[in-house]
Amino acid sequence: MSNTKNNHMEDSYHITGYAEHFGTWVSLILLTFMTVFISVFGADLNTLTVATALFIASVKALVVAYYFMHLKYDPKIYRIMILIVMSMFVIFLIMLIFDYLTR
Amino acid sequence: MEHSFSLPNSGHNYDAKASKLGMWLFLYTELLLFGGLFMVYMVYRALNPDAFLIASFNLNVWLGTINTVVLLTSSMTVAMSITAIQKGNSKLSLILLALTVAAAVIFLVIKYFEWGAKIEHGFWPGMDHFTNLPFGEQLYFYLYFFMTGLHGLHVVVGMVFILIVMKKIKNGSQNKNKNQLLENSGLYWHLVDLIWIYLFPLFYLIH
Amino acid sequence: MTGTSASQPSYLDVTKGLFSWIFTLDHKRIGLLYLYTVGSFFLVGVILGVIMRLELFNPGADIIEAQTYNQVFTLHGVIMVFLFIIPSIPAVFGNFFLPIMLGTDDVAFPRINLMSWWLYVIGAIFALGTLIFGDGPADTGWTFYAPYSVKTGTNVSMTVLAAFVLGFSSILTGLNFIVTIHRLRAPGMGFNDMPLFSWALYATSWIQLLATPIIGITLLMILAERVLGIGLFDPAIGGDPILYQHLFWIYSHPAVYIMALPAMGIVSEIIPTFSQRTIFGYKAIAYSSMGIALVGYFVWGHHMFTSGMSGPSAWIFSLLTFFVAIPTSIKVFNWLATLYKGSIDIEVPLLYALAFIFNFLIGGLTGLVVGALAADVHLHDTYFVVGHFHYVMLGGTGFAFIGGLHYWFPKMWGKMYNKAVAKLAFAIIFIGLNILYFPMLILGVMGMPRRYYDYLPEFHTLNQVSTVGSWIMVTGLIIMLVNLFIAHRKGKKAPDNPWNGITLEWQTKSPPPLYNFDKMPKLAKGGPYNYPNAKNS
Repeated sequence: MSNTKNNHMEDSYHITGYAEHFGTWVSLILLTFMTVFISVFGADLNTLTVATALFIASVKALVVAYYFMHLKYDPKIYRIMILIVMSMFVIFLIMLIFDYLTR
Repeated sequence: MEHSFSLPNSGHNYDAKASKLGMWLFLYTELLLFGGLFMVYMVYRALNPDAFLIASFNLNVWLGTINTVVLLTSSMTVAMSITAIQKGNSKLSLILLALTVAAAVIFLVIKYFEWGAKIEHGFWPGMDHFTNLPFGEQLYFYLYFFMTGLHGLHVVVGMVFILIVMKKIKNGSQNKNKNQLLENSGLYWHLVDLIWIYLFPLFYLIH
Repeated sequence: MTGTSASQPSYLDVTKGLFSWIFTLDHKRIGLLYLYTVGSFFLVGVILGVIMRLELFNPGADIIEAQTYNQVFTLHGVIMVFLFIIPSIPAVFGNFFLPIMLGTDDVAFPRINLMSWWLYVIGAIFALGTLIFGDGPADTGWTFYAPYSVKTGTNVSMTVLAAFVLGFSSILTGLNFIVTIHRLRAPGMGFNDMPLFSWALYATSWIQLLATPIIGITLLMILAERVLGIGLFDPAIGGDPILYQHLFWIYSHPAVYIMALPAMGIVSEIIPTFSQRTIFGYKAIAYSSMGIALVGYFVWGHHMFTSGMSGPSAWIFSLLTFFVAIPTSIKVFNWLATLYKGSIDIEVPLLYALAFIFNFLIGGLTGLVVGALAADVHLHDTYFVVGHFHYVMLGGTGFAFIGGLHYWFPKMWGKMYNKAVAKLAFAIIFIGLNILYFPMLILGVMGMPRRYYDYLPEFHTLNQVSTVGSWIMVTGLIIMLVNLFIAHRKGKKAPDNPWNGITLEWQTKSPPPLYNFDKMPKLAKGGPYNYPNAKNS
């Protein structure tokens, strides 16, 4: 009765190999130690510290999303959607902090 | 209730792509849920930069780093478990998922000790030591407990999700040909990891 | 009606009994479950509104004291916003008709759909629970502003919990519709072949999905402060109550587009049918819905102009607010162009659609007035705002809802109501609405503040006029409801396409069979507004 749609595996065009996942992990660990290192041993950068930390965190997030979460190999619409959602959020942040910065 | 034809686009058919899209949509809601807290963090840190720095010295960077590594590793194991099941190796998939759950437990145990230490030293809202803190530091700790607490709750939910999927792999309903639920549990788990990726530097690495 | 086998029973007859309803997976029944529950709460909200207007008939305390008045307007707002308007059109008509309009037999996730309704019921129970326990319902206004919402002894926690649960219900509905629209369209039906109500639901669903979590977390913060002492908005320690307002309105402004977009979607369905031609400017209407949804995320500050936010910030929000009016007016021009030289049939649904345009015009224009920063300084928290939002919410969405109900009534139940009585009820409601709310616009300009049980003598006459308007409107509502109720029980059997509708849902039976179609739906060649009927084929 039920005809199953796409009952073959989701990413029949691509199964991420174990090696690729391991490589992703290695890069994430490296980035982690980089960010801890900068924070613990870095100079007094103040605002730049936030920027650097957030930048590295965002690189890590991108790596997790693209490789572990398979966005790199998914249909383009998924990358577009997450881009829109994150952009919205960033605009919220900017508009919100603008109030406090101009008070 | 028979009907003589079945629509190719019936809502009653199993549709892995619909399931995947639905999961991603749910993840967006989770991102925005935590997003609200990050917005509050941003404002209060901008208004109290020094207090946030001083308050952060109360946290143990190495415990935070270990927890980060633990979660990143668990993301790898759950991702690999999907590879395994897609290659037909359900047994390996289960082992990798068990490792993921173990990592989750380690994370929670470390968190338990971290929180416990804080509360023991009176760093909980309402306790003496807390109310004597400078205002900015109080705000820091409000955010620390709320955000890591909500995150911890999501770790538990993610763990339960994975355990459910493990059961389904054991009984064969998740397998080489049908594994979107496993993939969805992996997506949820990666989200938990993602949130921590930002929590870690914002609370532990302020300097 | 030739099916390849014997015609199936309608979705209403296929099983019977209470459990077959509250545990149903049929999107049509879920739509009706929502109709009955949402409709009931609308009536409760109306009663609360009538009580408020009675109190305001004369200055001073008449029937209730100040504290009770605060609780009444809070409950009125909470019920009307969270239990009526936000779910209303998507959960009732979206659930019932989206699958049919897409040529499919259910939504993508039928069990999640049922769960949405169950969450609605649980949220409703929490909201009603506030009447029973402790110090009674919250007295903060439906906006729960900190720090008062954190300090007051009334049942804010339970109300906020109710809103949280209801928000989750809303998120799941949005999620379900997005996936349904992406994955379940009939073969051959692209995005630009769906009816405009589907586009409206699509845009709305994205708002439900992305905006609601923000109020979810904000309400949790209020709860955390009340229950755990986590004072994130506590001014005593440097917390900022204005930050609460920011977070609250980041959801609650997009929320008004959750209210408006589906309503405009219904108007976009009614007008083509009663003009007997396809809609003018299909893409303009479809994309303007998405445009409103997008821009609507970035204008929230206009609810807080006088809160203490910075001047430059207020200026930017005011500027963006003006942009959001543009896509809305595009729709109005397209509707008028559709009517122009169409074969007009003045039936009840069209009356509501035309009244929508009139009411929304007033509501929308007054919105621009308060969106203008300089004017809002004087008008914020006055009755001008109250008049403005009731014109859009009741005159707009409310009328679209009632119009949709009259439009799709024969399809949903296979019966027809007394059209003459329905037209009379419409006229009374329309007149009542305007007598009720127009004076508020004047009162606001004169300076009468909102959320007060008392007022200065110079506001007396217009308040009395407004209250009389409420009686007229409620009378009309009662007539309308009784008329529909009688028709539901023993109305005349309606044909499958009583309005000579030109969209897909009129091609199937009235009421539809369980799986919506008796035979494979054949998509019209000329687009979603080109289906055959007795008049045009």
